[in-house]
Formats: sequence, structure tokens, C-alpha cells
Amino acid sequence: MLSFKKDKKPSTAKFKLSYIAMLIVLVLLAISALPNLYPNKSWLHISTAPHSETQSLPSTKTLVTFLNNQGLEVEQGVDKQSTINVLLNEPTKSAQAQAAIKAQYPNTQVKIVEHATSPTWLQDFGLSPIKLGLDLNGGVLFVLDVDLDKAVDEQLVSAYQQAKSIIIKQKAHGVKAQQTQHGFEINALPNATDKLTPVIEELQSRFANLAVVTSNNGSVKTAKFSYSEQGRSAFDKEVMGQTLTTLRSRIEELGITEAVTQQQGKHRIRIELPGVQDPTEAKRIIGATASLGFYQLKEIGGQTFNMQSGGTIKLDPVPIFTGDHINNANIGRDDWGKPLVQLSLDGQGGDAMSTFSKANIGKPMATVYSEYSQNAKGEVVKKSEVINVANIAQHLSSRFSITNMKSQQAAADLALLLRAGSLTAPVTIVHEQTIGPSLGSENISNGLAALMLGMGITLAFMALWYRRLGLIANVALILNLTSLVGLMSLLPGVVLTLPGIAGLVLTIGMAVDTNVIIFERIKEERRQGRAPYQAIQEGYKQAANTIFDANITTMITALILYGIGYGPVKGFAITLALGLLTSVFTGVYVSKILSQTLYLKMGKKAGVKAHA
Amino acid sequence: MLNTFLKGEKGTRLRFMGMLLSAILVLLSVFTLTQKGLNFGLDFTGGYLTEFTTSQSVELKELQSFIAKNHNGEFELTAQGNSHFQLREAPTTSTTANSLDWQSAVTQNDDINAQVLSSAYIGSQVGDELFDQGCLAMFTAMIAVMLYLAVRFEWRLAVGSVVALVHDLILVLGLFSLLQIEFNLTVLASLLAIIGYSLNDSIIVGDRVRELLRVQSNNVLSPATIINNAIKSTLTRTLITSGTTLATVASVWLLAGAPLQGFAIALFTGIVVGTFSSICIAATLPELLGLSAKNYEVKVDAHTQTLLDMP
Repeated sequence: MLSFKKDKKPSTAKFKLSYIAMLIVLVLLAISALPNLYPNKSWLHISTAPHSETQSLPSTKTLVTFLNNQGLEVEQGVDKQSTINVLLNEPTKSAQAQAAIKAQYPNTQVKIVEHATSPTWLQDFGLSPIKLGLDLNGGVLFVLDVDLDKAVDEQLVSAYQQAKSIIIKQKAHGVKAQQTQHGFEINALPNATDKLTPVIEELQSRFANLAVVTSNNGSVKTAKFSYSEQGRSAFDKEVMGQTLTTLRSRIEELGITEAVTQQQGKHRIRIELPGVQDPTEAKRIIGATASLGFYQLKEIGGQTFNMQSGGTIKLDPVPIFTGDHINNANIGRDDWGKPLVQLSLDGQGGDAMSTFSKANIGKPMATVYSEYSQNAKGEVVKKSEVINVANIAQHLSSRFSITNMKSQQAAADLALLLRAGSLTAPVTIVHEQTIGPSLGSENISNGLAALMLGMGITLAFMALWYRRLGLIANVALILNLTSLVGLMSLLPGVVLTLPGIAGLVLTIGMAVDTNVIIFERIKEERRQGRAPYQAIQEGYKQAANTIFDANITTMITALILYGIGYGPVKGFAITLALGLLTSVFTGVYVSKILSQTLYLKMGKKAGVKAHA
Repeated sequence: MLNTFLKGEKGTRLRFMGMLLSAILVLLSVFTLTQKGLNFGLDFTGGYLTEFTTSQSVELKELQSFIAKNHNGEFELTAQGNSHFQLREAPTTSTTANSLDWQSAVTQNDDINAQVLSSAYIGSQVGDELFDQGCLAMFTAMIAVMLYLAVRFEWRLAVGSVVALVHDLILVLGLFSLLQIEFNLTVLASLLAIIGYSLNDSIIVGDRVRELLRVQSNNVLSPATIINNAIKSTLTRTLITSGTTLATVASVWLLAGAPLQGFAIALFTGIVVGTFSSICIAATLPELLGLSAKNYEVKVDAHTQTLLDMP
């Protein structure tokens, strides 16, 4: 991979070809990095709220005066047909201005919109600057309410349904489950009391947090099931933990790496997303409660479900397995071009599917799609629908697909949700707000000044220590920074935070290493009496192995951190890996060509009397 | 080992003394880590988030120093607007007086006249799964790197590099534990950078050792001398790279202020320790494990040998 041509003077044709290829890559990356010179500006778009009675906006002048009085100096106010666009002197204060305008003019709707300031030809290429993180540029804050009561109710209903099926399975005649106000109870007639204990045991093994109280009501033995305070709080904690995990992985599935997700109070979750301009997609995915279950059909007894195509169907209330056992889900299309979701199950789900399908070949199986939604009264209700009933044609294992999806979007969303895991409790977004950067502008400028200084010291040192070769190293270094910034701008998931910038400059600092290794080697070769041009050839050749090994090992680490890590660790791993690629590219290939050109020309002009 | 230590040349003696020093430092670090633990920041522990508004606009700096006077623990104040602030603080363990202190101070002060909008418990920013996943990732990464190096180099050099890496991480963690500097997500990121740096450093020395061993396959020089020579010939490079990187980190440390302080301290220590360990551990440990030029003798079959012998 890093082999260098053995011939002492490369043939002009080869030389030119690699020269051109390298130039093209460098120019492309530099163009991608260009938009970063024109940072986006946050504008305020003020329009009338959709459902307000008065359809009048304050005049642009009034609004500008109002903002100036609030200490939010306006740089520019533009009057569009139905909106007023305002640009502040300090765009980072946009969130604050948004709140102020909302408070003063309740009938308006204020949006913060990023306007690209780069030349239109760059925008036409679809190029944009690197996205900035929460600390530098702010973002959107969501507060979600987790409906724990609903989750407990659901859990109790599910426990009751399972109790009924356990009784049938164990053939416990004379034992009957019955719903009550705070849960459910199981009654056993005098001749069946001995059959009650195994039912209770089985049920408790499935629902560990459920408390049971047994009593004798005359000759009937009763076991009452409900949540004790302790069991309830354990259940709440479990649900909150699971909800947090699910939300984190959903945000990650959306490709947002530097988000902050944390629990707020007992039953709320706070999510901060960096620089999300249009949070509609994020909202749709974060709040989604869709889940899947696979059920057996029942002719006698069972629970009634609605069919998507209309009508009802009776199913066994206990699912064969649920969406929790799905490892991976992808969208695809069936033979008629209709969207479908391909699933692969984990070990447990695969086993369940395998045993069930083996015993039920030729019999139907139903796929139920459930979702929480708000009804007209604003209450959260669960809506379950059978989207598909299919006959089991053969012995199925852990891979199969669900057909009959409504649309491509529905299929894509379901696949994402199945990958990220489903929520046990319904969540509703109770608060949504644009937030300003968490770091003050002073912190940011100090940080940048420090990095400039560090970079300056490195460049100055290299130029003084290695003279002409040092200049090559410095050119390579600056090209490296440009390429890295260009690559990071191209990748959609990369978000830059202040520590991220520090890491970036550190990567550059370490990239000097590549050149230092090579130049020290060249000096060594010179000491051994080689001519400058040969010394350079030999130095690059000898150093290549070392550089290759050092970078491959770090690359292995970066890739593993990216694969297994989460959130900020992932973000850091991306920067590290990209930095390695660009530093090998510029430090080895580009600077080799630069030094060859320099010494080749000089060799022709001044013979071999160049100093290294 | 004792023999080598006493009789060896100056470089070897220095290396073994350095290794002894490293061992002592690692023991000390492990001791303070088990005794004091790490001072985990709000990112990891969670805490309380209080939002409040002031009657008139207040400078963030002034408010910061005012609250600092009335607050015993650590807190993080961010401005949401000229008169709208957010304060994050660690949950108080012993007394709840701390949090009340500053709240009553800002509400009663006439210049600030704050009004508390809400105060709620905030969970940690990172889930428990991060910790498990993080450990798993580190472990997997180390195994993978060790395997790669064992194939490319030799298992003794691979062990040396990975031990040096673990050594660097433990010492940095030890320092954070000893000084009780806040350990937050930014510091975690710098630990990851140290991994890259430490490996890089060890491999460059290791690579030269391999190169010299291959050349010296006729056993003229002892492994100790070869290692010393390898270190000598890479020393300029090591010092230059460490120097420029340290200069960058030092300027961040001095100029960037609070948000990057922990990051800079961790990296500074990591680079110093990493440079040290690349010489005293990554290159020295293989010698203890019995590295010799014989490990690099190329095994040639009869056919290749005849080809080689051909004039």
C-alpha cells in the first residue's frame, strides 16, 4: 500500500499522473471545506400564528425598535410579504430574541432559520459548513412526559390476559381470573385450591414486580394482584431506564451524534438536539410509540382485534413474540413493488418462531401493529391493528418479512423503530424550545485563540528546525487541515463541539509526526553520505513502514470505538479516523511529491549541492 | 533481570530505573483510585437543574462570582438570555443547605432579584450502558491492537505497546483521582486521544527495534544495546513530536479557560507519560520477556536457500 517506486528518477508519465490525481483530490476537498469560511447566520422569521384571531404583524420598524430596546441589537430587518426576517448582531442570541418576541407579541410565530451565506455556486453543489454542537451554537430542547400510569395499566392488563391463558394452559378447572379496580384477582373454588399455587408462581415469574395477596373468602380462595409502592417504583425506574435507552438509540439512528438525553424529575425526559433546523422528523421519530407483536389466531375465546382492512379478528392475547426480539430490520420491496420490512430475530425470538411455525404449518399467524395516539379528548389511547394475517407456508427461522405496509415512509419508520427498540410507556412532547449555546462567546473565542497559538507554534518550529523541508511540512499540514475540514463537512453526522475543535487541532499536531519521522530519516540517510535526492527517496521509503503500522493500529482503535461506543465517543472516533486518513495522505503522498519536485528542480539548477 | 540492571550500559540502567518508577506510579495511582475514586462531573452523576430569571439584565460573569460566594459545591451557570439563567449543580449529599443558600441569596439580593422558575432533578447524560459499552470497546480495541502487532511485529513487542498504553491511562486517571479534578465527558474524549498518541509513540520505537534486530540477526549486539540504539535514533523524533503537541496542549491549558481545562490537563499528562512509557515500558518490557534477534531470523526452506545462494 505504501510502497514507493524503486527507480531513482520516476518516469515523467507516472509522475504526472499521480500528480494530477492528487491535485484533483486536494481541490475537491478544499472546495468542500470552503463553505466553512462563510458560517451560516441564524435569522428570525416572524409570521402570524396560524390560528390567531388578529392577522396583523407589528411593522418591521416597531419590531426592530423593540429588539434594540431589549439589548438585542438588530443588524438587518427585511420585510417579506407575509414574514419579517430579522438578523441580530449576535446571532447566538436568537433563541433569546425568539422568547422575547413571543412574550411581547403572543399572536406571532417565530422560527429560527439558518441562512447559508456562501456563494450560490457552492450551495448548488449541496455543500454546507460543518454543523456546530450544543455548546457552540445551541439547538432544540424537547421535554417529554412519560406516561407511567398508562404503562402500569397496560402491564396489569397484560398480566391479566396472561393469567387467563396460564389457567387454560395448566388446565386449572375451577380457577378464574377477574379484573378489579386496582388490578385483577384469581379465584379458586374449594376443590381447585391446589391448582392456584402453580398459576400464581408462573405469573410471578413473568411479572417480578407484581405483589400478590391471598385471602380466603368463605370457601373461595382469592389471590389479589396489584402493584405495591415498592414494586411500582421499581417498575417506574425500569420503564424510565428503558425509555432513555430507546430514545438514545433512536436519536443515534437519526444520525445525530452529539445529543444530550437525560432524565428530568421523576417522569420526564429532556432531550437537547444540536442545530436541528426542522425538528419535525426528529419529533416524529422521538415520540413514536409503534410496536409489533406476532399472534396466534383463536377461534374460541381470545381477544378481539381490528383488522386494518376492516372487520375484526380473534387472537390469542399472549404474543408468540414481540418486537423486542428483533435484532435488525430493513426496508425492501416485494415482487409487486410494495414496501415491506425485512426482519431478523435474536436467539430467543428465533427459537420461539421456529418452534411455533414448525407446529403450526398451514395455520395462520397475525401481525399486530400498535401505536399510542391522542383521541379527541386529549387522552392517550392505544390503538392496535392487525396489519397482516398470513398462512405459515413453511418452517420459519429467524429471518422473514412483514408485508402489507401502508407506504414507503411507514415501512422506513417501522424499520427504524424496530432497530432502536420500542417504548413500553407512551411519551408526549410537553415542551419544545430553541436554546442558545451553552458556552459564552468569550469562552469560544478564548478556545479558538489558544488553538491558533498552538498551531502557530508548531508551524514556526517546523519552519525553523527543518528549513526548506519544514516549509514542505507546513504546506502539508495546512493541506491536511483543509482536507480534514472538507471531509468533516461532507459527512452529515459530524457535529463540531469545542472539545471537538481541540481534538481536531491535536490530530493536526500529531500529523506533524509523520513528517518528523520522514525528515529525521532523511537526515540520517544524508549522514550516511547519500545525495539529497536519494536521501529523500530512501527516507520516504524507510519511514513508510513505521508510519503505516502506527496509523493502522490507531485506526483499529478508532473503528472499534466507533462501532461499539455511543454519543460523544462515537463523534470523537470519527474525527480521529478521518484525521488519520488525511494525515497519511498529505504527510506521506503529498509532501513526497512536493519534496521531489523541489529537489528535482533544484538538482537540475544547482547540481546536487542542496542542503537537507 | 538484576544482572542486566547492574551491569548494563548507562541507557539500559536508565530504562530499568524508569520502569521501576512507572511500576511505583502505577501502584500509587491504583491506590488513590481505589481509595478516593474519581470525581465524576455532572455529565456522569446527574444533579439539579434550576432555571431562574432576574428582574433586570445581569452580566453572566458578575452573577457567576456572586453565586460562587454563596455556593459551597461546584456548579455550572449558563445564560439563556440577559435575564434568564440556568444553573446545574451536583446533588448535595450531606446537607441540603448548599442549594438553598445561593437560591435565597439571589432572590433576596436587590440588584439581582431573581425569580426561580423551576428546579428539577436531572439524570446523568450518559447511560449505564455507556460504561459497559465503553469498557467493552476498550477491551476489544486492546485485543485487536495486540493481535495486529503480534502478527506484524512479534508478540513481545505487542505486549510491550499495550502494557505501555494501559500504564498511560492508569496514570492519568490516578492524577485525576489524586487531585480530584472533575472527570467529565470532555476528559473521557481526551483519554481516547491519549490511546492514539500512546500507541503511535510505542510503535515508532518498536518498529525501529524490529528493524535493527533484523539487520543484526547474526547476534553481534545484545538485545539491550539494540534497544538502546533504537531509542537513540528515534529520540529526536520523539522529542520534536512530543514538544510540538505539548506546546499546542499547553496553549489550550493557559488560554482556553475553564471549559477545556480538564481536557488540557489530561492530554498534557498523557503525552508526558506516553513519551516516557514508550521508552521505559514499550521498549524495555520485550527485553524482559526475552526478545532477541533470533525471533527475527527468517526461516527459509531449501529451495529459497538455493535461490539465495545463487550468485
